[in-house]
Amino acid sequence: MFELFTNMVKEEWRVHSTMFGSLSFALFPVMIFGIALMGSFLIPLMRTTLPAGNLTLIIHANYLMLGIMVGGFGLLGNEVMNRRFGQASLLAFSARSLPISEKFIFLNFVIKDTVYYFFLWVLPFGFGYILASPFTGVPLAGALLLLLTLTLSFLFGLCGVFFLSAIYARSRPVLWLVLLVLGVGMGGLAAMTGKNPVLFFPPLLLNSAFTWVNFLISCAVLALLFGIAIVLFNPESVGSEKTYRDSFAPLMQRFSFLPNPPLAAKDTLDLYRSGSLIGQTIFSFLLPLAVIWFFLSLLGPFFPPHGLLFIVAVTTGVIASTMYTWVTMFDTFGPYACLPVAVSTLIESKLTTFAVLQAIPAIFIAVVALFSGEAAYLVPAIVLGISVSFYAVGVMAWLCGLSPNVLVYDVKVLFVYLILVGIALTIFTSVAFANPYFALSAVILAIPTWLLVRKAKVRWDAVDPGGF
Amino acid sequence: MAVALEAKNLTKKYGEVIAVDNVSLSVERGSLFGLLGPNGSGKTTMIKMLTGQTRPTSGSASVLGVDVIKDPVGVRGQVGIIPEQETPPSFLTAMEYLEFVAAVRKIPDIETKEDWWFDFLDFADKKNVLCKDLSRGTRQKLMFTQAFIHEPALALIDEPLINFDPIMQDVVKDYLAGYVKKGRTIFISTHILEVAEEICSGFAILHKGILLHTGPVAELTARGEHLPSFFLSLVRKDRHV
Repeated sequence: MFELFTNMVKEEWRVHSTMFGSLSFALFPVMIFGIALMGSFLIPLMRTTLPAGNLTLIIHANYLMLGIMVGGFGLLGNEVMNRRFGQASLLAFSARSLPISEKFIFLNFVIKDTVYYFFLWVLPFGFGYILASPFTGVPLAGALLLLLTLTLSFLFGLCGVFFLSAIYARSRPVLWLVLLVLGVGMGGLAAMTGKNPVLFFPPLLLNSAFTWVNFLISCAVLALLFGIAIVLFNPESVGSEKTYRDSFAPLMQRFSFLPNPPLAAKDTLDLYRSGSLIGQTIFSFLLPLAVIWFFLSLLGPFFPPHGLLFIVAVTTGVIASTMYTWVTMFDTFGPYACLPVAVSTLIESKLTTFAVLQAIPAIFIAVVALFSGEAAYLVPAIVLGISVSFYAVGVMAWLCGLSPNVLVYDVKVLFVYLILVGIALTIFTSVAFANPYFALSAVILAIPTWLLVRKAKVRWDAVDPGGF
Repeated sequence: MAVALEAKNLTKKYGEVIAVDNVSLSVERGSLFGLLGPNGSGKTTMIKMLTGQTRPTSGSASVLGVDVIKDPVGVRGQVGIIPEQETPPSFLTAMEYLEFVAAVRKIPDIETKEDWWFDFLDFADKKNVLCKDLSRGTRQKLMFTQAFIHEPALALIDEPLINFDPIMQDVVKDYLAGYVKKGRTIFISTHILEVAEEICSGFAILHKGILLHTGPVAELTARGEHLPSFFLSLVRKDRHV
């Protein structure tokens, strides 16, 4: 059965490499390695303002979030592939034609995701850090330990999302109950110890002091989460026909104030009926942001006054921009190719739906502002977060058109994206740090956003829509 | 007679591969024209170019007087299209998809029209089912409906019968024959030669992207030849060349 695993790995590679060429994709881990290597040389400088432990915390939070996002995409893989490649499907969904159980295939799928993304993301980062360690004063043992704990962080994200989504698939009330228990548990831990519960995150504990007991506890928790996810895994139901009463016409009427009411109505039904609106909001938005908020809250003393709120707002903006992938992932241009619809019209419509979805990050930022006792800065924080989100989506639309979740793995695209978004983030975070009300100046991002969207429409109308 | 569709030296290359090589043909209005060829001969690419779904590498084409390169959306607004593999959007029901098409194409009085099509193609019981849960045959019925619901002057249809059962094939063939009698034009791509011989008035044979022959079916029958045998001899000869 090792063949199933190796073929799944090959399949994952080909899904990515056929989209934008083997070389572009092969360079992706090289870029991660380069970022880690160069970033490591900044550690001695950063140490003067930020303790090493806090840097470690940020990196662990990022890898935990990465695991969450990889897990979320993997579970949606079949639907996405069907839309992107027509008749194509993943081996993970081939139990109907192969004499292998669904649960065994799922087990292979989980192991494949772990191994594949370890080599794609975790190892290149760890390797860059290890290679720089002799020059940065970090002991080799410490660098190796970081590689281990980052791997564990990634796995916690991955198996955590498998675990939660397996529950979500069985019963939504139980999921809310589990989240409530987790929340209460963390609150209780904080009350009992007087410490931020994030500090008890097993990979962080292990990183601060390696013991075999801690390591085995981490592995046991992971195995438990994986095990429960596999036991609860509910194979796709076969042969069921879902029926709905006509919602399209009333919805279209309700959206008559938008530029493309039929396209907006279709996007809304896609999001709602695919389960993406709730599923993605939980697993790709609220969960990663809640994790980041918790982790960042530990860094509060190292930020200027009110800095934490604006860091959370900017991060929310960047993550909220990925909502564009929610509205594009179930569509190729294919279904529209037999209709008088231009690619630019479709981009415009997807961006309109994206704009409506921005209510979610706006509410999230408002909640953070209220909970952290900074209601006075609620408006500047929301303006900053939403402006960043629109600007990042403008960059994404210009670089990727209707295929952001595909082209993001093209190293050239990712590089340009990081540069353009990074510059804006640096400028406006600094401005907000200088004076919280200066964050309102982020509305100026509307100008490059408008230009980018205009360029995106011209650019992608000129490209053969037969692509992806 | 007026021309519905005209292609001049159309060529499409995908990297080093030439999918369609310098093809010129014209189709008169009111005819049912068959584009024939084995798998991979370039039929689908040809339809994609004629409907503005993909840009030709070189050459030109006009459909109902509209330039497919300058105004691909304008072309798609005038014609009906059934793409070869495309399925309707997963999360709309069959009825909602037709309403979506009607809204995009600005077709009035859609309820009456969709009811007629649901009855005609016998899938009224599936009108509230999500498209992703429909069988291949029912999806094909839906795609057929969306191509003809606005009664276009020209329909370009790629393998329209392939997922239909024999009874439905018969219904559809009769519909197509009746459609052209009303003065409208159909451009059909298929490799089912018997069907082409039965319903087409003109045809073209494409092999490895090259146009081997174009002319009226009547010309063949006048010579006592049948389309399937003519096609096979031509393609086999070309293979040996």
